[in-house]
Amino acid sequence: MNRMPLLIFGTFLTFASAWLGLVAYPYLTLGHLEPVVDENTGGVNPPPLSGLAVAGQKVYAANGCVYCHSQDIRPAYLTSDIAREPEADPQVRRTVARDYLRFQPAFVGSMRIGQDLANYGLEKRVASLNDIHRHLYDPRSVVSGSIMPSYRYLYKMQKISGEPSNAAVSGLTGPHAPAAGFEVVPTEDAKVLAAYLLSLKRNYPLPEAPVEVKE
Amino acid sequence: MNLTSPTPAADKVDASLRLPVMIFFGCAACWLVVGTFLAAIAAIKLVWPQFLDGPAFLTYGRIAPAAVNALVYGWASSAGLGVALWLLARLGRVPLTYAVLPVAAAIFWNFAVFLGICAIVGGYSRSIFLLEFPGFVSGMLFVAYLFIAVWGIVLFRNRTPGAVFVSSWYLVAALLWFPWLYFTANALLIWHPVSGSAQAPIGAWFSSGILSLWLAPVALAAAFYLIPQILGRRLVSYNLSLLGFWSFALFAAWTGTSRLIGGPIPAWMVSVGVVAAILLFIPVLVISINLLGTMKGSFEALNWSPSLLFTVTGAGAFLLVYVEGALLAFPSVAALFDFTDVLIGQGALFLLGFISMIFFGAIYYIVPRLIGRDWQCDGLIRWHFWLFVSALSVAYVCLTFGGMVQGFALGDPGVRFESSVGFATPFRLVSALCAIALVFASKCFAHLFFRTVLAVLEERKPSSQPVTV
Repeated sequence: MNRMPLLIFGTFLTFASAWLGLVAYPYLTLGHLEPVVDENTGGVNPPPLSGLAVAGQKVYAANGCVYCHSQDIRPAYLTSDIAREPEADPQVRRTVARDYLRFQPAFVGSMRIGQDLANYGLEKRVASLNDIHRHLYDPRSVVSGSIMPSYRYLYKMQKISGEPSNAAVSGLTGPHAPAAGFEVVPTEDAKVLAAYLLSLKRNYPLPEAPVEVKE
Repeated sequence: MNLTSPTPAADKVDASLRLPVMIFFGCAACWLVVGTFLAAIAAIKLVWPQFLDGPAFLTYGRIAPAAVNALVYGWASSAGLGVALWLLARLGRVPLTYAVLPVAAAIFWNFAVFLGICAIVGGYSRSIFLLEFPGFVSGMLFVAYLFIAVWGIVLFRNRTPGAVFVSSWYLVAALLWFPWLYFTANALLIWHPVSGSAQAPIGAWFSSGILSLWLAPVALAAAFYLIPQILGRRLVSYNLSLLGFWSFALFAAWTGTSRLIGGPIPAWMVSVGVVAAILLFIPVLVISINLLGTMKGSFEALNWSPSLLFTVTGAGAFLLVYVEGALLAFPSVAALFDFTDVLIGQGALFLLGFISMIFFGAIYYIVPRLIGRDWQCDGLIRWHFWLFVSALSVAYVCLTFGGMVQGFALGDPGVRFESSVGFATPFRLVSALCAIALVFASKCFAHLFFRTVLAVLEERKPSSQPVTV
């Protein structure tokens, strides 16, 4: 193989084949998926994100949440991802390409050092934004033995002057809980991150991924 | 065996390459220490989350990608670019002209990596694997790369007529593939992001491509040069080389989506990735037979040539890591072990076992020829080898077994998620200790490198003694 054109052409061809299949094809098909109208509710699926949730993606990216948390529910015939959520109603379903339509970037992830977050907003223990803030501020005060980093740097500890702030995180315990006369207030970054996390609900039906409603 | 530059022409080739290649290797050595250091911090944080807890720039989600990027773009890519330039010039017996541009590109590349690492740590990461750098930094990297790739291709075009060595195929291919990979991925995911729905397959294509179509070919090129050259013999078979090269080029390009089994992409894309990753076993076997077969009957040479020792170890890791890749591509296996520490172990074996060991071998071989002086201290080379190999092996075994336990726990709906973390912790603890050992092994290498270079700079006059590495 002493001829340069053959080498260049051959390497071009092998590479181009995969480029067409794995880049150009998804760009042309998946890249142009549209939301679908839900006949039962009249809304569209996947539902639009709130402005706060859109901003929260930047904070999620900046702090590298995706290196521990996937957002990817694999089908039941292959894994136990769905069986892990027996109480969810409607039943959790596998995630499909259209589920990531509203997200930029799509944090599918490749690690489960922490829990999968595809349906974090549906979890029972996440009843309110305050629960999310408590978890982010001091994970080990909520889940003992958790190895999640503390995101205290997204919160401000301040002295209570006059009335306590409405935004203050309540119910904090553990070594970093505010002393008497102090309160912990989320920064803008923490607020948008919590809004993003709460928006993670993939329980709406799609034509390619219907949901089973329990009797 | 005298392996110094055999002719005045080769001396001229080496002289023309001295500055750019040494800049690449010097920066690479620094990035290796930085990268392993950051990786050690991240590894400790996984078992002891309170460690360095508090400031934003030290959080796991910033330190871990900073470590991976420092190792991939700082260490491995810098070293790879240096190795590629040197090999193309040496194989073509043609000196590098207008060396000032590659020198500038080398500095620019490493400056861009530095900016990128600062951006990740400072909270400007894009959090797409191996595309974390902000858009302007990846633009800088792309431009710097183009300059070096053009110089590499020019070296190949101007080669002295004669047979084209196997190494040159891999190098030319890698120099063409990287810009295409990097430009496409940045254009579609960073500069002008496509809809979120299409990002998973493109991201998987890119991250597997940068490892298998950029770093792996350069490392293989180095191995295909070093092993026969040090032993003074020919490769086992030319036809095997041909088969290995083309089948590797084809299958490696398609493997990316095998990491998205059950993921949000069309099923045929997963299938094709699975098939490619399993078929990749064929070229890997062919390449390994060719490389390790050349060693047959000469294993005692490993005692006197550290270069050969590192390279052959790297070739062994190459076989192991791709065999593991083929096994992990089976859907039933992937369903259990995707998302676990098994993948971290495989990544470490790829980057620090396969790629790094061969680049260490290449640097130990090339530097004495460039600066005309042998390595300062044999003891440090041995320390570097044994500490690096043993720490990496133990970490790999721990992460693999720990990851398997973690995978079984995650796969059993009756086991709470928190338990999967608890099961993995003892294994992660040992691999964190190994990560610390890897920092020291990397420091041995960097120390030796700079000590040798400084000794030459102090003398100001290159010695003419023959070198034997």
